[in-house]
Amino acid sequence: MKKRLLSILLVAAMTATMLIGCGSKEKSGDDAKKDEEKGGDSITLMAPDWAIPTEDQLAAFTKETGIEVVVNEVGWDDIREKLATAASGGQAAADVVEVDWSWVGEFHAADWLETLDVTEEDKKDMPTLETFTKEGKVLAIPYANDYRLSYYNTKQFEKAGIKEEPQTWDDVLEACRALKSTGTVEYPFAIALNAEEKTSTCLMWLAYAMNGVVWNEDGTLNKESVTEALQYMETLIKEELVAPEDKTSSGMDAYKRITGGSASFLTGPTSFVSRSTNEEECGVIGEITPILMPGKEGKSKVTMALPEGLGVTKFSENKEAAKKFVEWYTSADMQKELNASNSAIPTRNSVLKGLVDDGSIKNAGAMLEEAELIVSPFPNGIPAYYAEMSNAMYNAINKMALGELTAEKAFAEMDTKIKELVEQE
Amino acid sequence: MKQKILPYLLLAPMILVMGVLVFYPIAATFSYSLKKWKLTAPNDIRFIGMNNYKSILTAKSTWYSLQNTLFLLLLVVVATTVLGVLLSLFLNVSVRGSGLLLAIAVLPWALPPYVNGILWRFIFHPGYGFLNKVLLKFGLVEAPVEWLSSRWTLLLVVAVVVVWRSIPFMALVCMAGRQSIPHELYEAARIDGGNGFGIFRRITLPLMLPFLAIGITSTSVSAINIFDEIIALSGYGDLGKNILVESYLTTFTFLDFGKGSAVTYLVMFLAALLGVFYLRSLNKEVEY
Repeated sequence: MKKRLLSILLVAAMTATMLIGCGSKEKSGDDAKKDEEKGGDSITLMAPDWAIPTEDQLAAFTKETGIEVVVNEVGWDDIREKLATAASGGQAAADVVEVDWSWVGEFHAADWLETLDVTEEDKKDMPTLETFTKEGKVLAIPYANDYRLSYYNTKQFEKAGIKEEPQTWDDVLEACRALKSTGTVEYPFAIALNAEEKTSTCLMWLAYAMNGVVWNEDGTLNKESVTEALQYMETLIKEELVAPEDKTSSGMDAYKRITGGSASFLTGPTSFVSRSTNEEECGVIGEITPILMPGKEGKSKVTMALPEGLGVTKFSENKEAAKKFVEWYTSADMQKELNASNSAIPTRNSVLKGLVDDGSIKNAGAMLEEAELIVSPFPNGIPAYYAEMSNAMYNAINKMALGELTAEKAFAEMDTKIKELVEQE
Repeated sequence: MKQKILPYLLLAPMILVMGVLVFYPIAATFSYSLKKWKLTAPNDIRFIGMNNYKSILTAKSTWYSLQNTLFLLLLVVVATTVLGVLLSLFLNVSVRGSGLLLAIAVLPWALPPYVNGILWRFIFHPGYGFLNKVLLKFGLVEAPVEWLSSRWTLLLVVAVVVVWRSIPFMALVCMAGRQSIPHELYEAARIDGGNGFGIFRRITLPLMLPFLAIGITSTSVSAINIFDEIIALSGYGDLGKNILVESYLTTFTFLDFGKGSAVTYLVMFLAALLGVFYLRSLNKEVEY
């Protein structure tokens, strides 16, 4: 009898659990009524921690539009994978999603993103918007700016007897040789050489700044420009002007050598403007100056942007509400607020100028001037095979850094793979 | 009639669970592996037979990854087995505080593999790594060693990290095996004049073999499936990638679900081979 009673109780408990688990997601009558009064919609946002608005900002958006935002904070690395998995099953991972500049080609080819409407005025104000545009369609709107800017340690340069900021890449090389030979800094040039995405972009910006071209019109690599950039990197490696650990540490670790004082020159993310004045992150405060990227004969006339944006997924059931959110999030007012709350660098040049002028962004140097030189190096937009292309590029560069390949062989290796990818497309 | 139906009814829930969670994914992955299915080409999904298999088996990249996988498999299995058995014998000695020792020995097993990898990255970091600091301090090297810059030293480091995590499980399994051996056998062996090593070789080792087989098989499957440690130590670069990293890159980075599924089948085939070894060794008669 006891056993039977126990069995009945167990079955009842399991059934109850199942009923709760399979319970409908429908809101209660009161909740639904409240939603209706406010405008009714609820959207989900999937973004990394640095893109999440504060609770006050979200509350203000809800008050203004009646749209509730459910935040799904996900690590940057995992977003693309989650989105791909959901989309392959015809589902939306979220209504509004993070879109990195490097994902645009494949997201467009896979048809995962809604086209967004942007005014001509906004297009002029946001040069990085070009990166998120494919075949004339805007697929995401950039919210966090990141473009390549150079930095040098003025104190270390002076100590090595160099009085002027470098204008060309040859100047940089000579300066680094002087910094090393005078014993000022052992490894003065900070650059990513590990097998990772940042290493590919290092080659891209170097070739772009040197010669204003990385790819040919047909999507293949421009041999002269890219080989020259690779040879420059090879010289830095052979003359031990870059730290041995840059070959295996993360790209960000390599960049951070400038704020740590173990490197004197960096071309890197715009975030180093604020890092160079942050006591917690910088050991050489007051010594780092952001300057325009050097070029071949004088300063480079272009720079490349690597921004992050927000897009609306094709499978979203709340597209209009999601678009409203993206519009609100990337508005001039919000960019100003997000700079204060999340340290996001505005993608609107007008907002950036305002923040530099009023001193909100300290030690800006040539930041604003460089922002006006942003032009995408991709003649036909980011290709759908970007991930495979970048993989081939960073592996070849890493092999060159480890002494397995010469610059010419590294070029040949990546060129063969990229030609194969172009042909397949 | 009732007796004929009842066993099937009782088995039905488990068959359903296995069907949905095991057999269906296996069949689905196989069907994907026979298709050209790239997420960036949603309008070009079609049946291509064994082409994905041909493509991966003729790619240098696959063979490079397979070499790395087999190298890691060999190192990890040999080192884990030898050190695991030694640790189990040591932990089996009943002394004061042996419970605490056991708890400490099990700690590495409890660590998430990625955390384990990061922890060891700090030890082997070429610039500020702990190991280089120690070697430099004692004058054993003149310049920091770049542990993660060459293929074989990188794989050796990966193997060390995985072995460190795998030893506790092997030791626990062997300890269970050791404790299941009746004391009478040892007493009889001693009366017959057996010495320490002789007893270990003729009694302890043969009777522990089925347990060792479990430990070795489990370690082998773990060694084939190393992922987090490689990512934490060297990222997704070519240098240290094994077949699982290759599978991840193809499927989730290059979004090629067709080819990625074929690579997954290759991993599954390797793991299944070891699984067969495991099942066969479980049913083996032991002589002692």
